[in-house]
Amino acid sequence: MTASPCRPWRTQVSVFTAVTALSAGLLTGCSMSSSDGSAGKDTLTAWAWGAPAAGMKATAEEFEKSHPGVTVKVQDVGNPAIWDKITTGMAAGGQGLPDVMDIGGDYMGNYLETFPDGFANLGDMGAGSLEKDFPSGLWKGGQDAKGQQYGMPFEVNTNLVFYRKDLFEKAGVDIDSIRTWDQMLTAGVKIKKATGADLFAVDKAASQADSANFFMMLARLQGTFFFNGKGEIALSGKESVDALTFLKEANDKKLVTDIPQSQGTTSQMKGQSPVAIMPGASWMVGSFQDTAPEMKGKWGVRMSPAMKEGGYTASSAGGTYLTVSKSSKQQELAYEYVEYSMATLAGQKVITKADGLFPSYGPMWKTAAFKEPNPYFGINTNELVIEALSQDTPPDHYTKDYPKALKVYDDAQTQVLVKDADPEQALQQAAKLLAQQTGRKTAKD
Amino acid sequence: MSLTTNPSPRPAGTPTAASRSAVEPPRRRSARRTWRTRATPFVFLLPVIVLFVGFKVYPVFYALALSFTQNVGGVTEFVGGANYGRLLDDPLFWTALRNTVEILVIQVPLMLGLAIVLAVALNSKLLKWRSFFRVAYFVPIVMGLVAYGILFSALLNYQNGFINYLLTSVGLPRIPWLTDPFWAKASIIMAMTWHYTGQNAVMYLAQLQSIPGELYEAAQMDGANRRRQFWHITLPGLRPALLLTVVLSTIGTLQLFDEPYVLTGGGPDNATLTIGMYLYNSAFKNFDFGYASAIGYVLAFIVTAVSVIQTLVLRRRAQ
Repeated sequence: MTASPCRPWRTQVSVFTAVTALSAGLLTGCSMSSSDGSAGKDTLTAWAWGAPAAGMKATAEEFEKSHPGVTVKVQDVGNPAIWDKITTGMAAGGQGLPDVMDIGGDYMGNYLETFPDGFANLGDMGAGSLEKDFPSGLWKGGQDAKGQQYGMPFEVNTNLVFYRKDLFEKAGVDIDSIRTWDQMLTAGVKIKKATGADLFAVDKAASQADSANFFMMLARLQGTFFFNGKGEIALSGKESVDALTFLKEANDKKLVTDIPQSQGTTSQMKGQSPVAIMPGASWMVGSFQDTAPEMKGKWGVRMSPAMKEGGYTASSAGGTYLTVSKSSKQQELAYEYVEYSMATLAGQKVITKADGLFPSYGPMWKTAAFKEPNPYFGINTNELVIEALSQDTPPDHYTKDYPKALKVYDDAQTQVLVKDADPEQALQQAAKLLAQQTGRKTAKD
Repeated sequence: MSLTTNPSPRPAGTPTAASRSAVEPPRRRSARRTWRTRATPFVFLLPVIVLFVGFKVYPVFYALALSFTQNVGGVTEFVGGANYGRLLDDPLFWTALRNTVEILVIQVPLMLGLAIVLAVALNSKLLKWRSFFRVAYFVPIVMGLVAYGILFSALLNYQNGFINYLLTSVGLPRIPWLTDPFWAKASIIMAMTWHYTGQNAVMYLAQLQSIPGELYEAAQMDGANRRRQFWHITLPGLRPALLLTVVLSTIGTLQLFDEPYVLTGGGPDNATLTIGMYLYNSAFKNFDFGYASAIGYVLAFIVTAVSVIQTLVLRRRAQ
């Protein structure tokens, strides 16, 4: 008799315990689930996107073979979603982050400055001895202000110009004779007349931050960027004004197709939105054959024209870095995977084949496979990239305020291309706003 | 006498002891049951309370603390009201506020007007397949953000969008829906109206069921036409639902984020930058968590103030 009334109470306690445990699990587990943190002692997780993720999946398989019992789970998180996830994890003190993260060079400074305790020091794990194998500017891009190494260079990018051989031929324009961007503009008018195709495409409304890519290329060809070496705002300088003025001139001549960035690249590569040229980063060499194999033979690739006769014909186009999160419980193992993928010939052969990106690892450039011509473009694209990389181009000064600079520039570009604003005034306004938002000084020309 | 005055402990099993033991256990059980009865709802609510505290209460207070800080070189420093002061001088914040208010004053009345028309139509006995239409108009509210974004991007695309296809096929020019500052704002309003009208219509529909049919019959007998019936019976009858939807829609629009995020990214040239988008950009693009928290608190203050004013005004009118 006495036990009977207690039974429901016990049942209630059990239900309560189970439900509370579930709630607690939800509370603590939600943030962890994305990283598969509970996957096991010898399980590494890594976040990347697109082509780098494809390459990392390939090295993960090889790494597992040489490390029995180890599993490497590479997640293609997508870009830009990956930045939100990493930022959230960093802000939560590393909760939910994977062991290995691929981070854009333009984001490195901001992450390192805002979350200095977010990344494992690769120098402490032996990365210092690898410095000689990477381009020095790129290697330094993975460091914080004190010179501590937090990122291992993934790929190195330079800007190139992809062009439609068939359209140039139809318009009777010899692409090799074009040495400056002004000459390219003149060629664009001829091509439009002969073929109806625009010279290039821009996301005029700047629906994504990448819309600034072409401007950045033109500004870099003149040795300037959003910030100078002192961290001052260089956005309203003469060279930047020249770069934006070029875009306006092309727009005024009706040579610019307006395509949202998210849809633009594919439709241009496939010729659905016909454009004569696609100025872009060298990583696109690999994308063409995957995205538009049917256009093989129609696309060519060359170094950029200069903004002025004799000026730079190459400019950096960023790159990404593999990092190890400080919250990782297997930092050593994670570093081993990073080193295998980025700084061994075995890993580099696998990753380069899988992702089509241009490797940062110097010894890879000397291998036989690297000297073969690219059948898609009909030339040795690797040689072209190495030639561009060998130009002594000035470094980019990203600073932690790069996202703000990108935003104010994108708005200025939209004002010029959509509302017909004056480039100089628009950039001065942008620089003023950036100064107000960051407390930085504006550089004097 | 000796029996009644015996001070020694009563032996077990005496009638008195037996009668007490017969009374006491039920009293204990009753007390236990009362306690248990009272505790039961809390026991079942506890998981929700734990989640509510973890995911709502804690972040709210943490954000308040964060709004008085700045991250300087990875170190969180207390800066007092500096973030709030910075907001006053920030042209982008005022642009975001102006955009949000513009969208609010156009979109909410438009949507609620449409929802009333829709609810009256769906309530009509003349309409066939009423259930189908009710479901059809409610479906957009359950559509996920990504699918929603893809759908509208496809509809509004300048070159290949369905809407521009329709326009050009009847000889009208293409409209730069997402790339022109004016049309981008109009696109956001269109998308929001499509997304939320059905939900409001369902609320009105529920309220319409509570209006007694006799009122319409009496009005009809008195010679009131349909328009007078709508103004003097339907609209007053909808007042409780109107109050609810006006307040909820205002709160939702002031917090607007989804539509500009998936369709325009706040552009072009900040034409669709809302306070919600600016908060997101400050936190996740610029890593300015303190500033973003301050924006959040200013937004919360605006939402609360507007909701209180609306409730007071609409209630007073109702009385």
